[in-house]
Amino acid sequence: MNAGYHDGEPVVVTAALTGGVHGKEANPNLPETPAEIGEAAAACERAGASVVHLHARRENGERAFSTDRFQQVADAVREATDDVILQHSTGGTAAPEDRRIEPIRTDPPPEMASLDMGPLNRYDHLTSENTRAFVDRLHDEMRERGIKPELEVFNDGHLNETLAFLDRSDTTDPPYLNLVFGGGTTSPPSPRRLLTHLDDVPDGAEVNVLGFGPHQLPVTTTSMLVGGHARVGLEDNVYYRQGEPATSNAQLVERTATVAEQLGRPVATTTEARSILGL
Amino acid sequence: MAECPHLEYRETAGEQTFETARAYCAVADEFVQPMRADICTGRYGLAPSEDCEIYREAAETDQ
Ligand code: SF4
Repeated sequence: MNAGYHDGEPVVVTAALTGGVHGKEANPNLPETPAEIGEAAAACERAGASVVHLHARRENGERAFSTDRFQQVADAVREATDDVILQHSTGGTAAPEDRRIEPIRTDPPPEMASLDMGPLNRYDHLTSENTRAFVDRLHDEMRERGIKPELEVFNDGHLNETLAFLDRSDTTDPPYLNLVFGGGTTSPPSPRRLLTHLDDVPDGAEVNVLGFGPHQLPVTTTSMLVGGHARVGLEDNVYYRQGEPATSNAQLVERTATVAEQLGRPVATTTEARSILGL
Repeated sequence: MAECPHLEYRETAGEQTFETARAYCAVADEFVQPMRADICTGRYGLAPSEDCEIYREAAETDQ
Protein backbone atom coordinates (compact mmCIF):
# COMPACT_ATOMS: atom_id res chain seq x y z
CA MET A 1 0.00 0.00 0.00
CA ASN A 2 1.30 3.39 -0.90
CA ALA A 3 -0.52 5.98 1.11
CA GLY A 4 -2.86 6.55 4.00
CA TYR A 5 -5.35 9.33 4.45
CA HIS A 6 -2.68 11.76 5.63
CA ASP A 7 -0.97 11.57 2.25
CA GLY A 8 -4.05 12.73 0.39
CA GLU A 9 -3.56 10.38 -2.54
CA PRO A 10 -6.56 10.51 -4.84
CA VAL A 11 -9.08 7.68 -4.66
CA VAL A 12 -9.73 5.78 -7.86
CA VAL A 13 -13.48 5.17 -7.89
CA THR A 14 -14.67 2.31 -10.07
CA ALA A 15 -18.32 1.99 -10.99
CA ALA A 16 -19.48 -1.61 -11.53
CA LEU A 17 -22.55 -0.83 -13.55
CA THR A 18 -24.23 -4.09 -14.53
CA GLY A 19 -22.52 -7.32 -13.48
CA GLY A 20 -23.26 -10.82 -14.61
CA VAL A 21 -25.41 -12.24 -11.83
CA HIS A 22 -28.60 -10.25 -11.17
CA GLY A 23 -30.40 -7.75 -13.38
CA LYS A 24 -33.46 -5.58 -13.57
CA GLU A 25 -35.45 -8.19 -11.64
CA ALA A 26 -33.37 -7.13 -8.60
CA ASN A 27 -33.39 -3.39 -9.32
CA PRO A 28 -35.04 -1.90 -12.42
CA ASN A 29 -32.44 0.89 -12.42
CA LEU A 30 -29.65 -1.54 -13.30
CA PRO A 31 -28.50 -0.80 -16.87
CA GLU A 32 -28.53 -3.75 -19.30
CA THR A 33 -28.67 -2.48 -22.88
CA PRO A 34 -25.66 -0.76 -24.47
CA ALA A 35 -27.52 2.58 -24.46
CA GLU A 36 -28.45 2.24 -20.79
CA ILE A 37 -24.90 1.26 -19.86
CA GLY A 38 -23.53 4.23 -21.79
CA GLU A 39 -25.85 6.63 -19.99
CA ALA A 40 -25.00 5.11 -16.62
CA ALA A 41 -21.28 5.36 -17.35
CA ALA A 42 -21.61 9.04 -18.22
CA ALA A 43 -23.54 9.78 -15.03
CA CYS A 44 -20.95 7.90 -12.97
CA GLU A 45 -18.09 9.77 -14.63
CA ARG A 46 -19.77 13.06 -13.76
CA ALA A 47 -20.19 11.81 -10.17
CA GLY A 48 -16.49 10.96 -9.81
CA ALA A 49 -15.85 7.51 -11.26
CA SER A 50 -12.69 7.27 -13.32
CA VAL A 51 -13.11 3.56 -14.18
CA VAL A 52 -16.22 1.72 -15.34
CA HIS A 53 -16.34 -2.06 -14.97
CA LEU A 54 -18.43 -3.47 -17.81
CA HIS A 55 -20.45 -6.61 -18.53
CA ALA A 56 -22.67 -7.20 -21.53
CA ARG A 57 -26.22 -8.53 -21.66
CA ARG A 58 -28.68 -9.74 -24.28
CA GLU A 59 -31.81 -7.69 -24.87
CA ASN A 60 -33.67 -9.82 -22.31
CA GLY A 61 -31.02 -9.19 -19.66
CA GLU A 62 -29.30 -12.57 -19.92
CA ARG A 63 -25.52 -12.76 -20.00
CA ALA A 64 -23.58 -12.09 -23.18
CA PHE A 65 -19.87 -12.73 -23.73
CA SER A 66 -19.46 -12.13 -27.45
CA THR A 67 -16.95 -9.61 -28.73
CA ASP A 68 -19.78 -8.09 -30.79
CA ARG A 69 -21.94 -7.36 -27.79
CA PHE A 70 -19.02 -6.01 -25.75
CA GLN A 71 -18.13 -3.85 -28.75
CA GLN A 72 -21.65 -2.38 -28.70
CA VAL A 73 -21.36 -1.68 -24.98
CA ALA A 74 -17.86 -0.18 -25.28
CA ASP A 75 -18.90 1.98 -28.23
CA ALA A 76 -21.91 3.26 -26.31
CA VAL A 77 -19.78 4.06 -23.27
CA ARG A 78 -17.12 5.86 -25.31
CA GLU A 79 -19.80 7.82 -27.12
CA ALA A 80 -21.50 8.91 -23.90
CA THR A 81 -18.46 9.61 -21.71
CA ASP A 82 -15.61 12.08 -21.77
CA ASP A 83 -12.45 10.19 -20.79
CA VAL A 84 -13.47 7.34 -18.50
CA ILE A 85 -11.32 4.18 -18.31
CA LEU A 86 -13.06 1.06 -19.62
CA GLN A 87 -12.53 -2.18 -17.72
CA HIS A 88 -14.14 -5.25 -19.30
CA SER A 89 -15.10 -8.22 -17.19
CA THR A 90 -13.66 -11.61 -18.07
CA GLY A 91 -15.70 -13.34 -15.37
CA GLY A 92 -18.33 -15.86 -16.41
CA THR A 93 -19.37 -18.72 -14.18
CA ALA A 94 -20.10 -21.84 -16.27
CA ALA A 95 -19.28 -20.15 -19.57
CA PRO A 96 -16.62 -21.90 -21.70
CA GLU A 97 -13.14 -20.41 -21.49
CA ASP A 98 -13.15 -19.46 -25.17
CA ARG A 99 -16.24 -17.33 -24.56
CA ARG A 100 -14.67 -15.60 -21.58
CA ILE A 101 -11.78 -14.34 -23.68
CA GLU A 102 -14.09 -12.66 -26.19
CA PRO A 103 -14.75 -9.50 -24.12
CA ILE A 104 -11.11 -8.36 -24.40
CA ARG A 105 -11.08 -8.68 -28.20
CA THR A 106 -12.88 -5.40 -28.90
CA ASP A 107 -11.37 -2.72 -31.11
CA PRO A 108 -9.82 -0.79 -29.50
CA PRO A 109 -9.20 -3.08 -26.54
CA PRO A 110 -10.29 -1.86 -23.12
CA GLU A 111 -7.54 -0.23 -21.07
CA MET A 112 -8.27 -2.69 -18.26
CA ALA A 113 -9.91 -6.06 -17.69
CA SER A 114 -10.70 -8.13 -14.64
CA LEU A 115 -8.71 -11.30 -13.98
CA ASP A 116 -10.21 -13.69 -11.42
CA MET A 117 -7.49 -15.22 -9.23
CA GLY A 118 -9.18 -18.50 -8.39
CA PRO A 119 -12.33 -20.56 -7.98
CA LEU A 120 -15.65 -19.16 -6.82
CA ASN A 121 -18.84 -21.05 -5.97
CA ARG A 122 -22.21 -19.90 -7.31
CA TYR A 123 -25.60 -21.23 -6.28
CA ASP A 124 -25.53 -24.84 -5.06
CA HIS A 125 -24.04 -26.55 -8.10
CA LEU A 126 -21.85 -24.11 -10.06
CA THR A 127 -18.22 -23.11 -9.68
CA SER A 128 -16.28 -20.58 -11.69
CA GLU A 129 -13.04 -22.56 -11.84
CA ASN A 130 -10.49 -19.98 -12.94
CA THR A 131 -7.64 -22.48 -13.10
CA ARG A 132 -4.07 -21.18 -13.06
CA ALA A 133 -3.74 -22.25 -16.69
CA PHE A 134 -6.75 -20.16 -17.67
CA VAL A 135 -5.58 -17.18 -15.60
CA ASP A 136 -2.25 -17.30 -17.47
CA ARG A 137 -3.98 -17.71 -20.85
CA LEU A 138 -6.19 -14.69 -20.22
CA HIS A 139 -3.26 -12.67 -18.94
CA ASP A 140 -1.11 -13.53 -21.96
CA GLU A 141 -3.76 -12.15 -24.28
CA MET A 142 -4.27 -9.08 -22.09
CA ARG A 143 -0.54 -8.38 -22.24
CA GLU A 144 -0.47 -8.79 -26.03
CA ARG A 145 -3.32 -6.33 -26.34
CA GLY A 146 -1.92 -3.82 -23.83
CA ILE A 147 -4.67 -4.39 -21.27
CA LYS A 148 -3.98 -3.83 -17.57
CA PRO A 149 -5.39 -6.61 -15.39
CA GLU A 150 -7.27 -5.92 -12.20
CA LEU A 151 -6.52 -8.97 -10.08
CA GLU A 152 -9.75 -10.14 -8.44
CA VAL A 153 -8.94 -11.49 -4.97
CA PHE A 154 -12.09 -13.14 -3.70
CA ASN A 155 -10.55 -14.50 -0.49
CA ASP A 156 -7.35 -15.24 1.45
CA GLY A 157 -6.51 -18.21 -0.75
CA HIS A 158 -6.67 -15.97 -3.76
CA LEU A 159 -4.06 -13.74 -2.10
CA ASN A 160 -1.72 -16.73 -2.20
CA GLU A 161 -2.67 -17.28 -5.83
CA THR A 162 -2.03 -13.61 -6.56
CA LEU A 163 1.44 -13.65 -5.02
CA ALA A 164 2.30 -16.75 -7.06
CA PHE A 165 0.86 -15.17 -10.21
CA LEU A 166 2.96 -12.05 -9.68
CA ASP A 167 6.04 -14.25 -9.27
CA ARG A 168 5.49 -16.14 -12.51
CA SER A 169 4.04 -13.39 -14.68
CA ASP A 170 5.46 -10.18 -16.10
CA THR A 171 2.39 -8.10 -15.43
CA THR A 172 2.78 -4.34 -15.52
CA ASP A 173 3.52 -2.31 -12.38
CA PRO A 174 1.94 -1.50 -10.13
CA PRO A 175 -0.04 -4.69 -9.52
CA TYR A 176 -3.68 -3.70 -9.03
CA LEU A 177 -5.55 -5.95 -6.61
CA ASN A 178 -9.29 -5.85 -5.98
CA LEU A 179 -10.14 -7.33 -2.57
CA VAL A 180 -13.67 -8.75 -2.45
CA PHE A 181 -15.78 -8.97 0.71
CA GLY A 182 -19.21 -10.55 1.13
CA GLY A 183 -20.77 -13.97 1.51
CA GLY A 184 -20.06 -17.36 -0.04
CA THR A 185 -16.55 -17.82 -1.40
CA THR A 186 -15.58 -14.20 -0.84
CA SER A 187 -13.80 -12.92 2.24
CA PRO A 188 -16.03 -12.55 5.29
CA PRO A 189 -16.67 -8.82 5.50
CA SER A 190 -15.19 -6.79 8.30
CA PRO A 191 -12.85 -3.81 8.53
CA ARG A 192 -10.47 -5.88 10.70
CA ARG A 193 -10.18 -8.58 8.02
CA LEU A 194 -9.55 -5.94 5.37
CA LEU A 195 -6.68 -4.57 7.42
CA THR A 196 -5.29 -8.10 7.83
CA HIS A 197 -5.48 -8.65 4.07
CA LEU A 198 -3.47 -5.50 3.52
CA ASP A 199 -0.56 -7.02 5.49
CA ASP A 200 -0.22 -9.60 2.72
CA VAL A 201 -0.46 -7.27 -0.25
CA PRO A 202 2.86 -6.96 -2.06
CA ASP A 203 4.84 -3.74 -1.68
CA GLY A 204 4.05 -1.20 -4.34
CA ALA A 205 0.66 -2.66 -5.21
CA GLU A 206 -2.44 -0.52 -5.46
CA VAL A 207 -5.49 -1.90 -3.72
CA ASN A 208 -9.13 -1.57 -4.66
CA VAL A 209 -11.93 -2.90 -2.44
CA LEU A 210 -15.51 -3.98 -3.05
CA GLY A 211 -18.16 -5.27 -0.70
CA PHE A 212 -21.36 -6.99 -1.69
CA GLY A 213 -24.76 -5.76 -0.49
CA PRO A 214 -24.78 -3.96 2.84
CA HIS A 215 -21.01 -4.36 3.12
CA GLN A 216 -20.33 -2.00 0.20
CA LEU A 217 -20.26 1.21 2.23
CA PRO A 218 -18.33 -0.05 5.30
CA VAL A 219 -15.51 -1.82 3.46
CA THR A 220 -15.05 0.80 0.74
CA THR A 221 -14.95 3.49 3.43
CA THR A 222 -12.33 1.52 5.35
CA SER A 223 -10.32 1.14 2.18
CA MET A 224 -10.36 4.85 1.48
CA LEU A 225 -9.37 5.58 5.07
CA VAL A 226 -6.22 3.50 4.82
CA GLY A 227 -5.11 4.58 1.36
CA GLY A 228 -6.96 2.15 -0.89
CA HIS A 229 -9.44 2.69 -3.70
CA ALA A 230 -13.14 1.90 -3.97
CA ARG A 231 -15.50 0.07 -6.29
CA VAL A 232 -19.22 0.59 -5.96
CA GLY A 233 -22.25 0.11 -8.17
CA LEU A 234 -25.37 -1.91 -8.77
CA GLU A 235 -23.36 -5.01 -9.77
CA ASP A 236 -22.29 -5.33 -6.16
CA ASN A 237 -25.19 -3.76 -4.27
CA VAL A 238 -28.69 -2.79 -5.40
CA TYR A 239 -29.60 -0.83 -2.25
CA TYR A 240 -28.67 2.67 -1.15
CA ARG A 241 -29.46 1.76 2.44
CA GLN A 242 -31.42 -1.02 4.10
CA GLY A 243 -34.83 -1.37 2.45
CA GLU A 244 -34.19 1.49 0.01
CA PRO A 245 -33.23 0.43 -3.52
CA ALA A 246 -30.55 2.58 -5.15
CA THR A 247 -31.93 4.92 -7.79
CA SER A 248 -28.85 4.63 -10.00
CA ASN A 249 -25.20 3.65 -10.14
CA ALA A 250 -24.36 7.34 -9.96
CA GLN A 251 -26.12 7.65 -6.61
CA LEU A 252 -23.69 5.12 -5.15
CA VAL A 253 -20.70 6.82 -6.78
CA GLU A 254 -21.82 10.22 -5.46
CA ARG A 255 -21.89 8.87 -1.91
CA THR A 256 -18.43 7.36 -2.32
CA ALA A 257 -17.06 10.64 -3.64
CA THR A 258 -18.56 12.49 -0.68
CA VAL A 259 -17.05 10.05 1.81
CA ALA A 260 -13.65 10.25 0.11
CA GLU A 261 -13.62 14.03 0.24
CA GLN A 262 -14.68 13.96 3.89
CA LEU A 263 -11.77 11.64 4.65
CA GLY A 264 -9.30 13.98 3.00
CA ARG A 265 -8.90 11.89 -0.13
CA PRO A 266 -9.68 13.74 -3.34
CA VAL A 267 -11.46 11.73 -6.01
CA ALA A 268 -9.05 10.86 -8.84
CA THR A 269 -9.56 12.40 -12.22
CA THR A 270 -9.21 10.04 -15.13
CA THR A 271 -5.70 11.43 -15.75
CA GLU A 272 -4.74 10.84 -12.13
CA ALA A 273 -6.25 7.36 -12.23
CA ARG A 274 -4.16 6.44 -15.30
CA SER A 275 -1.06 7.64 -13.48
CA ILE A 276 -1.89 5.73 -10.27
CA LEU A 277 -2.73 2.52 -12.16
CA GLY A 278 0.20 2.70 -14.55
CA LEU A 279 -1.94 2.78 -17.68
CA MET B 1 -32.57 -32.03 -21.30
CA ALA B 2 -32.11 -28.63 -22.85
CA GLU B 3 -34.50 -25.94 -21.70
CA CYS B 4 -36.19 -26.38 -18.34
CA PRO B 5 -39.91 -27.26 -18.50
CA HIS B 6 -40.51 -24.75 -15.69
CA LEU B 7 -39.03 -21.86 -17.69
CA GLU B 8 -41.37 -19.20 -19.07
CA TYR B 9 -40.68 -15.83 -20.62
CA ARG B 10 -42.86 -13.09 -19.20
CA GLU B 11 -43.05 -9.33 -19.36
CA THR B 12 -45.11 -9.05 -16.19
CA ALA B 13 -45.44 -10.84 -12.88
CA GLY B 14 -46.91 -9.34 -9.75
CA GLU B 15 -45.80 -5.73 -9.60
CA GLN B 16 -42.83 -6.21 -11.93
CA THR B 17 -43.08 -5.21 -15.58
CA PHE B 18 -40.35 -5.23 -18.23
CA GLU B 19 -40.19 -4.03 -21.83
CA THR B 20 -38.61 -7.30 -22.97
CA ALA B 21 -39.87 -10.68 -21.77
CA ARG B 22 -37.52 -12.18 -19.17
CA ALA B 23 -36.84 -15.63 -17.81
CA TYR B 24 -39.39 -16.59 -15.18
CA CYS B 25 -39.40 -19.73 -13.06
CA ALA B 26 -42.84 -21.28 -12.59
CA VAL B 27 -41.60 -23.25 -9.57
CA ALA B 28 -40.06 -20.35 -7.67
CA ASP B 29 -42.77 -18.00 -8.98
CA GLU B 30 -40.30 -15.24 -9.75
CA PHE B 31 -38.08 -13.83 -12.43
CA VAL B 32 -34.75 -15.61 -12.34
CA GLN B 33 -31.33 -14.01 -12.18
CA PRO B 34 -29.61 -13.74 -15.56
CA MET B 35 -26.82 -16.05 -14.40
CA ARG B 36 -29.33 -18.69 -13.42
CA ALA B 37 -31.15 -18.23 -16.72
CA ASP B 38 -28.16 -19.91 -18.36
CA ILE B 39 -29.11 -23.05 -16.43
CA CYS B 40 -32.81 -22.65 -17.27
CA THR B 41 -32.00 -22.40 -20.99
CA GLY B 42 -29.44 -25.20 -20.94
CA ARG B 43 -26.63 -22.98 -22.24
CA TYR B 44 -22.98 -24.00 -22.02
CA GLY B 45 -23.91 -27.61 -21.32
CA LEU B 46 -25.76 -26.72 -18.12
CA ALA B 47 -28.76 -28.87 -17.22
CA PRO B 48 -31.60 -27.96 -14.84
CA SER B 49 -31.74 -31.55 -13.54
CA GLU B 50 -28.07 -31.38 -12.57
CA ASP B 51 -27.31 -27.74 -11.91
CA CYS B 52 -30.47 -26.15 -10.47
CA GLU B 53 -31.34 -26.77 -6.85
CA ILE B 54 -34.85 -25.40 -7.42
CA TYR B 55 -35.50 -27.95 -10.17
CA ARG B 56 -34.03 -30.78 -8.10
CA GLU B 57 -36.08 -29.94 -5.02
CA ALA B 58 -39.24 -29.74 -7.12
CA ALA B 59 -38.44 -33.10 -8.72
CA GLU B 60 -37.94 -34.71 -5.29
CA THR B 61 -41.23 -33.31 -4.05
CA ASP B 62 -43.03 -34.68 -7.10
CA GLN B 63 -41.75 -38.20 -6.50
S1 SF4 C 1 -34.78 -21.76 -11.90
FE1 SF4 C 1 -34.43 -23.98 -12.07
S2 SF4 C 1 -36.48 -24.87 -11.93
FE2 SF4 C 1 -36.76 -22.71 -12.37
S3 SF4 C 1 -36.88 -22.56 -14.61
FE3 SF4 C 1 -34.73 -22.27 -14.07
S4 SF4 C 1 -33.80 -24.31 -14.18
FE4 SF4 C 1 -36.05 -24.58 -14.11
